[in-house]
Formats: sequence, C-alpha cells, structure tokens
Amino acid sequence: MATNTDPESRNIAQRIDAWLDDDMSPRRALVVYLVLGLYFAFLLLPVVYMVLVSFTSQEFLFSSELLPSLGDLTLYNYEAVLSRGDFRTYFVNSMIVATSTTLLVLTVGILAGYSMSRFEYPGRGALLYAFLSTQMLPLVLILIPFYLLMNSLNLVDSLFGIIIAHAVIGIPLGTWLLKGYIDDIPESLDEAAKMDGCSHLSILRRVIVPLAMPGIAVSGFYTFILSWNDYLLVSMLSQTAATRTLPFGLQLFQAQNTVAWNLLIAAAVITMAPVILLFAVAQRWVVEGLASGGMKGN
Amino acid sequence: MATQTESRFSRYREVFLSFLSDTWIGYAFVIPATIILAVIIGYPTLRGLYLAFFEVSLLNPEQMNFVGLENFAALASDPIFKQALWHTVLLTALAVSLQYLLGLGLALALKEKVPGAGIFRSLSMVTWVMPVIVMVIIFRFMVQNGFGPINILLDSLGMPTTYWFGEPGVAFPLIIVMHIWRNVPFYAISLLAAMQSIPKEQYEAARLDSAGPLQRFRHITLPQISYVSMIMIVLHVTFTFKNFDIVYLSTGGGPLGNTEVLATYVYKQAFEQYALGMGASIGVVMLILMLAFTVIYVKLEEVD
Repeated sequence: MATNTDPESRNIAQRIDAWLDDDMSPRRALVVYLVLGLYFAFLLLPVVYMVLVSFTSQEFLFSSELLPSLGDLTLYNYEAVLSRGDFRTYFVNSMIVATSTTLLVLTVGILAGYSMSRFEYPGRGALLYAFLSTQMLPLVLILIPFYLLMNSLNLVDSLFGIIIAHAVIGIPLGTWLLKGYIDDIPESLDEAAKMDGCSHLSILRRVIVPLAMPGIAVSGFYTFILSWNDYLLVSMLSQTAATRTLPFGLQLFQAQNTVAWNLLIAAAVITMAPVILLFAVAQRWVVEGLASGGMKGN
Repeated sequence: MATQTESRFSRYREVFLSFLSDTWIGYAFVIPATIILAVIIGYPTLRGLYLAFFEVSLLNPEQMNFVGLENFAALASDPIFKQALWHTVLLTALAVSLQYLLGLGLALALKEKVPGAGIFRSLSMVTWVMPVIVMVIIFRFMVQNGFGPINILLDSLGMPTTYWFGEPGVAFPLIIVMHIWRNVPFYAISLLAAMQSIPKEQYEAARLDSAGPLQRFRHITLPQISYVSMIMIVLHVTFTFKNFDIVYLSTGGGPLGNTEVLATYVYKQAFEQYALGMGASIGVVMLILMLAFTVIYVKLEEVD
C-alpha cells in the first residue's frame, strides 16, 4: 500500500473498485428502471388518472375516450363539490376528529410509553401484551356491544364519541412505537434531570418529549391517517350530517342507482389530498420510523 | 450503634418509599390509556364473546336466550359460513404471499443506487396512506362498463367488457389486486430498511468467498430480514383476515356470495338478519383462528 505513491493510478484503482462495489453497469441500471417503472405504473397510474379525470367535464368522463383534450378540462367538479355546505362540514369534521384523536393518542401514549419504558411494576409486560392484543380483535365482533356501550355513554352521534373510538384503535400501536423510541433515550439523561430536582412530569416535558420527537411524528402521523381514513366506526356512530366525516360523507354523491361520478371523483381527490400532503411533509420520518418501529420491538 | 442502625433503617425506608412512589407514578402514567382501552374495547369484547352463547335479536337486545353452543353447531352446518371461511383463508393466503413476494421485489429494486431512486422511494407509499374508500372508488371507476379506462382499453382490443366487480370469476381476484396495490409499498419500505441495516462488510466477505448474487441473497439478506418479515406477515395476516371495509365497500360480498368473507358475513348476520348471537359466534371463530395462527407462526419462527 505504502509503495503506491502515484496518486493518478490509485485514483483509477479506487474508481474501479467503487464501480465494482456499486455493481451498477448501465445494463443493470436499465433493468432496475424497467422494474421500478412497472411497479410504479401499477401503483401510481390509477391515482394519476383519477386526479386527471377529476378536472374534466362530465361529457368526457362518460365518453369512451381514454385521454381528455384541452377543451375537456374544467374546474366545474371542484366548484360543485365545494359549494355544498354539507360537504364543507364533513371536511371540517374530519379535521377536528383527526387532529383531536392524534392529540389524545399522543398524550396518553407518551404517558403510557414513558411508564412502560422507565418504571418497574408488577403487570407491566402483561399490560403491553394486552394493549397489543386488542389489535387482533375483529372490529365486527365488538361492533354491536360497542354501539350499545357508546349509546349508554351518550357518545353516539357526537364528534367526541368518534374521537374516543378512533383513539382506542390508535392507542395500542402508538404506545408501542413511543415506548420503543423512549427505550432508545439513555436513562442517564433522566437521572441527570432528577439530580437537578426535576419531577417526573418535567423530565417528560424537558427530556423525553424533545428527544422522542421522531417517534412522536411517526405515531402522530399513523394516528392521523387512521382517524382520517376510518369508514366503519363513523358509519356506526354518525347518524346525522353534523357528525359525518369525509370517507362516510362521500356517499353524498352516490344515490341508490346513480353515481355522480364526476363529483364523486373530485370529492375523493379532496378526501385523500390532506393525508397525501401530510405524508409528503412527514415522509422522511414516517418511512424510516414505521420501518424501524418493527425492528425496535425486538 | 443505635444511631447507625437507625440511619440504615431510615435509608432502607427511603429506598422503599421511593420504590413505592415510583411504582405508583408508573401506574398513574399508564392508567389513562388503560382505562380508555378497557372501557371502550375490553368491555365490548367480553360482551361480544358472551353474546356468542345466546340467541339475541338486534331489534330487542335486552331479550337474551341462553343456547349454549347451538350457534356454533349451526355454523358447522351453514354452507354460507363455510364458503365465507374458505374465501377468507384463500384471500389471506394469496394476498399476503403475493404482497410479500412483490414487496420483496420492490425493496430489492429500490435498494439499487440508481439516480432518482429517492424519488421512487418517496412516491411509493401513496397507495398505503389514502383512505380505503378512495381506493375502492378508484377501482370501481376503472372497471365501469362503457367509460371506465380498463374497459375502454379492453374494448379497443376487441375483448369483452363488463362491470368487473359484478363478474363472479373476476371479483375475487380484483379484491386480491386491491390488497396488493394498497400494501406492497409498506412491505417494500419495511424490508428495504431491514436490508439497509445489514453491514456492508458481510457482503464484501461473501464476495471474497466468491459467493454469487443469489447465494449472497440466500445466506446474508434473507436471514437478516426474517424478523421484519415475520412482523409484516403476522400484521398483514391479521389485517387481511379481519378486514371488513375493502370487501364490503367494493362488492358487499357479491356477486352471488362470490366474495363473501367472514367479516362481511358477521356484519350481515347482525345488521341484516338481526341475529346478534350468530354474528358474535362467527366473530369468536375468527378470533380463535387468528390467535392460533399467530401462536403457531411465532413458535415456528422461534424454532428456526
């Protein structure tokens, strides 16, 4: 090694090494692009096509043309959908429900995750398993008793009831993810804060929460989409337009035998837009966090 | 001497008290989540299990007749139940294995360091984050007769066209395709993360031992993604097995019961036949099958 003093030749050798290391010959790159192209055509073309169609006229939509011409493009569908007061209410309801559910799950999830990560007490492990096992329950099994319970608690047809119902679905995985992230924070930091006379609550606020931010982002995102996307629980608990959220509210455009496809598709785009935007913003943490969350439970 | 014992005693006391208070604080922090779960999900679950042994009508849920195991006996001779059970098992097995294989393939492609791979990676989860109802609307639109893009294409090729969710032989495969469409990116991203955490040196060493790409995949990659694979498979088997909305919203179990699964059958028993006890007993069967699967799978994985 030491004898190799000629920088020129060494540079070339390194480049060849790196090239071999990468194994990225043009032919191989082409195959990779081809495979990725096929996957993403399958995954994204339907979405792109739906978005495109949402900007076209009803005449084009019901024609047997595959692609619209410039003259077919219009904002009419969005104007028609957004001009409906009930649809705007659903949108606001969705925002209220998903945001409140997320805050509720994060609050009780951080407390429970901190407790399960830092405290020793009888039943701790069993509790974590009990939390996680609720994920296995078929929702349809509990639907009726659940409805009767919510009815007796006066939580039917109220946004608060929907928030509680969604929180119940989000808490187990949220707690588990947060516990994993809190486990990764060195306990010496807690001890140091305790020496400085911090109470548990202020350790939580000043040490744990700031350091567990990536985990909080992941759990928060997961809870938000879970709540935003839910159909079954809302269809059960919401009985009037005042408590409907978007996924259930889409039935506004589907009558018994006729579907107003142009409006339905525009409304569907509006329904998915917030979660896709949120995902675009949170993507970095979420993709890594969701993936590594699975490994943390080890 | 006396003071020493006393001070030692008081130190023990302090340790004991702080242990006690720590325990109590631990309980205090975990209690809000526990109470919410116990009341809103624990109680209805127990109640659901209990209902499985009664004859109860949705129209009059107060009136309960204890029937013992009769609901389960009725299930054993119910052809629709057997069909729904078969569909559920078939859907779960096919959807999860295809998702896993395709997800593995996508992960391997995304792992390659081609320019622009990052863009593919960030686009990949779009289908997974959108609401199920929106996915169903997309698919139902695509297969509309006359104006759905799939049928327009088929028509231009001179092939038969119809509303494919209404076609007995096609509706079930279409539901599998929807599962794949939705979940493959999640498998891919999780498996990709597991692959990227494998130390590069192991591949270098294998290369020096002149192991080919396939051998490297078999002996280095596969063993080290097995834990994440297990998590993904257990998660998606339970998800697919109990899933209600994808089937219910796209076909409602039709045409002619061709896509009826256990979850939609429970729903129909309860809300269309008003037979709460019957519905609950199907739910109990689902729960038992899922627990059995999880236990067996995790045990097998441990043996490996």
